[in-house]
Amino acid sequence: MLARVANNLFWMGRYLERSEHVARYTNVNYFSSLDAPNAISQSRQFVLRSLLFMIGAPEQDAQKPLHEEEIIYNIGLNPEYDHAILNNVKAIRENANGARDLISTELYESINRFYHYVLNYDPNYFVKRGLYDFTIGVTQRTAILRGKIRGTLLHDEIYSIIMMGVNIERATQIIRMINAKYHDALLTKGSYGDKVGNSFEWTTLLKCAESYDMMRRSYRKTPTLLSALEFLVLNGDCPRSVMNSLNQVCNHMHILHLDHRPDKGSTSFLAGKLRAEFQYLRVEDIEQDINGFIQKVLERLYQISNKMEEEFFLY
Amino acid sequence: MSDHHQNALFSSYNRKPNLFDEVFDNDGTVKAIYEKLITLFGQHALDDYVHLNNKAKASFFNQGITFQVHGDKSAQEKIFPFDLFPRIIDTADWEKIESGVIQRNRALNLFLWDIYHEKKIIKDQIVPLSLLSSSVNYLHQMYGVDPPGGIYNHISGTDIIKHSDGKYYVLEDNIRCPSGVSYVVCNRTALKRALFGVFNHYEAHAVTNYAENLLQILESVKPQGVDNPNCVVITPGMYNSAYYEHSYLAKAMGVELVEGRDLFVENDFVYMKTIKGPVRVDVIYRRVDDLFMDPLEFKPDSSLGVPGLFAAYQKGNVCLANAPGTGAADDKAIYTYVPDIIKYYLDEEPILNNVKTYRCDRPDDLKYVLENVDKLVVKPVDEAGGYGISIGNRLTKEEIETVQNQVKESPRKYVAQPILSLSVHPTYIDENQSFEPRHIDLRTFTLLGKDTEFVLKGGLTRVALKAGNLIVNSSQGGGSKDTWVVKKDS
Amino acid sequence: MSLTYTIRYQSKNHYESPARGASWQFLILPEDNRSQELISWNVANNLAADVNVSINGLGFKTIRIQANQTFTDLKIDATFIVQKEERNPFGFIPNADPAMDYEVMATVDFQADHETELRKTPFTTLPVQHHAIFSFDRKKNAFDNLMALNTWVYHHLFFKVGVTDVNTPLEEIIMKRHGVCQDFTHLFLAISRQHNVPARYVSGYLHQGNGYFGDSQMHAWVEAFVPNGGWIGFDPTNNILAAQNHVKVCHGIDYNDCAPLKGVVYAEGKNTTSHIVEVIASQQ
Repeated sequence: MLARVANNLFWMGRYLERSEHVARYTNVNYFSSLDAPNAISQSRQFVLRSLLFMIGAPEQDAQKPLHEEEIIYNIGLNPEYDHAILNNVKAIRENANGARDLISTELYESINRFYHYVLNYDPNYFVKRGLYDFTIGVTQRTAILRGKIRGTLLHDEIYSIIMMGVNIERATQIIRMINAKYHDALLTKGSYGDKVGNSFEWTTLLKCAESYDMMRRSYRKTPTLLSALEFLVLNGDCPRSVMNSLNQVCNHMHILHLDHRPDKGSTSFLAGKLRAEFQYLRVEDIEQDINGFIQKVLERLYQISNKMEEEFFLY
Repeated sequence: MSDHHQNALFSSYNRKPNLFDEVFDNDGTVKAIYEKLITLFGQHALDDYVHLNNKAKASFFNQGITFQVHGDKSAQEKIFPFDLFPRIIDTADWEKIESGVIQRNRALNLFLWDIYHEKKIIKDQIVPLSLLSSSVNYLHQMYGVDPPGGIYNHISGTDIIKHSDGKYYVLEDNIRCPSGVSYVVCNRTALKRALFGVFNHYEAHAVTNYAENLLQILESVKPQGVDNPNCVVITPGMYNSAYYEHSYLAKAMGVELVEGRDLFVENDFVYMKTIKGPVRVDVIYRRVDDLFMDPLEFKPDSSLGVPGLFAAYQKGNVCLANAPGTGAADDKAIYTYVPDIIKYYLDEEPILNNVKTYRCDRPDDLKYVLENVDKLVVKPVDEAGGYGISIGNRLTKEEIETVQNQVKESPRKYVAQPILSLSVHPTYIDENQSFEPRHIDLRTFTLLGKDTEFVLKGGLTRVALKAGNLIVNSSQGGGSKDTWVVKKDS
Repeated sequence: MSLTYTIRYQSKNHYESPARGASWQFLILPEDNRSQELISWNVANNLAADVNVSINGLGFKTIRIQANQTFTDLKIDATFIVQKEERNPFGFIPNADPAMDYEVMATVDFQADHETELRKTPFTTLPVQHHAIFSFDRKKNAFDNLMALNTWVYHHLFFKVGVTDVNTPLEEIIMKRHGVCQDFTHLFLAISRQHNVPARYVSGYLHQGNGYFGDSQMHAWVEAFVPNGGWIGFDPTNNILAAQNHVKVCHGIDYNDCAPLKGVVYAEGKNTTSHIVEVIASQQ
């Protein structure tokens, strides 16, 4: 496979995953805040700030009033706004175009339909009444894409490259969500006597990761900081957990890299090392320094992705 | 004989008595080969047909089988307009077309070999030297280079029309980077999906075998000493208007689709950059123009090419298809000599006729052209895609003067042909919600390899969608139809 | 008598913003032919990049350098040792009747064989208003006319560095009457081809020891095809025939075929280039 095309496929996977997480985070936060148990969590300003924080464009000025329609438009459909879902979907298609001869007609067609769905979505309707419909539309379509990737491509190197992108991005987005919700929990603590440890935000977090129901099945209790983190970071059975993503990353690395004893410093080595660390990590260790943990994991994921580019995509 | 007036779809079809209609005879009866088709189509109400046609178009759009008109800033994606009502070519006509295009393209190949070697045809004064020395597409770097297998025009697109006399004529040769073959396959797929019940009443030749034949041709011209050649398709990139076709061909052949930046040359061998390191490339089906291929040899600012590619080619370490410099044989001034070229190299009479062409660099012809601009189609010799063509009977007085001045200024740049009446074919016109006669032509696809040749049984029937318009190119608003070459006159 | 030349070619290229990789082709290797032999050569570069030998579109040897790293400067330093035989350019017997020259040159066979060297390129097309700028004397043979042309070009243009560049059109050169060896050569080519005498652009090194015009750069001159004589070198910049002071690198249709340096550099911003050429002779 051409190095350039592999790069396209990798980023196609990343943008696919990113579109979905941004859409879902926007949807869940916006709508679950409507029945949040405290006034801060219900406040529109609070929700909008949380959205901006999660996509990586936090509003620094704490006093500045945010305009709801403008923020929603930016995150959804503003072609001039880098973080917009629209631009993520454009990037999916652009990258798919660069690898068009390698992917199936069915996958390409689904991507193309997805692109036209987003491109032709009426921005006026979107900011006034379409937020729910649009974000659900996006998450459904990303699920279709994932199904087409899994169901219509050979499970060879091409598939593995895409899945590397998907999983590295998924782990990254989950950590970003945790970061955003941790930030929110700190802001809302104390109102109505909530402690950070059992903030309402942890329920929202799990819903953002589509993991709330399964978490309830596992723990049979209202989520807390510790249980939510344990489930979303360390529980390998949870398909959205960082642990699960790392397991998949390592499996796909194995297909790309048949070497059983990878060079130290290789992508395989870095991913394997992080997974091994996670296997013996306790949530209590994480709790000691949550911010530090978040920054460290993001840094490590970034390193793996960079190494991947260096090792496979640059010649 | 069924009378088409009883048929819902064609009841309002207005035949143009002075034009050759492919489907209906002058008295309105349906030609034998179309009878079954007309009957089968007749089972559909107009609404059904419109519904199916729209579905077919939507499927093109969803699959991203689109193109962007070049020079159009907004770069809107458009589908290549498609009409579900197919064109049928009978066995006898097809045999003539097929043998005709093979003959023609073999002769052009020999012509190319000759003008890049001994130039016998010029010394024997069949083709004037001035034609060569004034051709901007003649690459002096190709002089004395022997392309692998002796083949220059591996892939040729020969455009053919049927005139009002019912005979086929060759309109032009395209032997640089002819495009359109992917649409032949798409049209067939779309038609079969929408109208399988109609298609299976005819025994038409398949068109999906093009890619495997192309791969065979490419493999036949592999460099010496290579057993299993690695063939690739090179594209200018995803913003090229024919990118869909490039990706289709790569996918259908199962080879890599590369861009210039994916390749590099080391010690005069070509390699592609893969995730596992460099892999040697032996044959390149190139969809990048001559001058953009190698910035060290041709246009220095080209970012589409591969530095050093031409040296690798000269040394025989890689084969380029088509060979560089084929443009010297497909410009419209050479066209007028093709019948002589066929006789000279093959000692055969041309099977397909040329359209009468006036060459403005001949004083007599120039005089005639200047006096009759209003009755002629004037074309620049070195433009493709229907650009720069003026059709005499649609010009205003001022426009005629402009054309006369352009021709006077550089006669070598122009040829002129009588305004031909291309045959017409019933085509569904959206705005008018009815079938109407529209002019069509046929682009055929010929492949030449080492000791092997292939003509795609079918081709791209291009339709000029505006009433009375004669220019069928997609860049000029043309559409297309599926083309059935039937196995027997069923 | 033979001469040994030591030729030094140095090139410095500076890029304002760092370049991320490049591919260069140097057309600077003296060719091996009947009158000269390349004894040895060495090319060093500051990037420690591999030096490969390849060919250009007309089959002349080139030096290829490929850089994959990021850099702002490329310096190359090349040394060639060439042995040059002295040959008498007048050593052929011209057609007894000058008319025979023009008869041969008027035949299709001759013109077809020399199509490339008769081809008019943007550099070698005489503007219409200058078609009569120089005429051949049909009573003299082709060689004598070319000698006259050589002298005429030498007198028509003044050697001046820095007033023209590779993009200066021929018309401007004719009107302003100054230029460097390239311009002298293109003017000669244009007139020669207009009179059906095949002529080609030659790039190489000039030994300036005898006070010839040049500017410590690569030199350019003409080779014209003379019936019975074959290819003969004319140096209109110096009004001499090219002989033992001229070391040929390559020929081509015009400058574009012979540019000493062509390259693709992945960089934004401006770049500056300078070359220095030094030719030192030692008699043997």
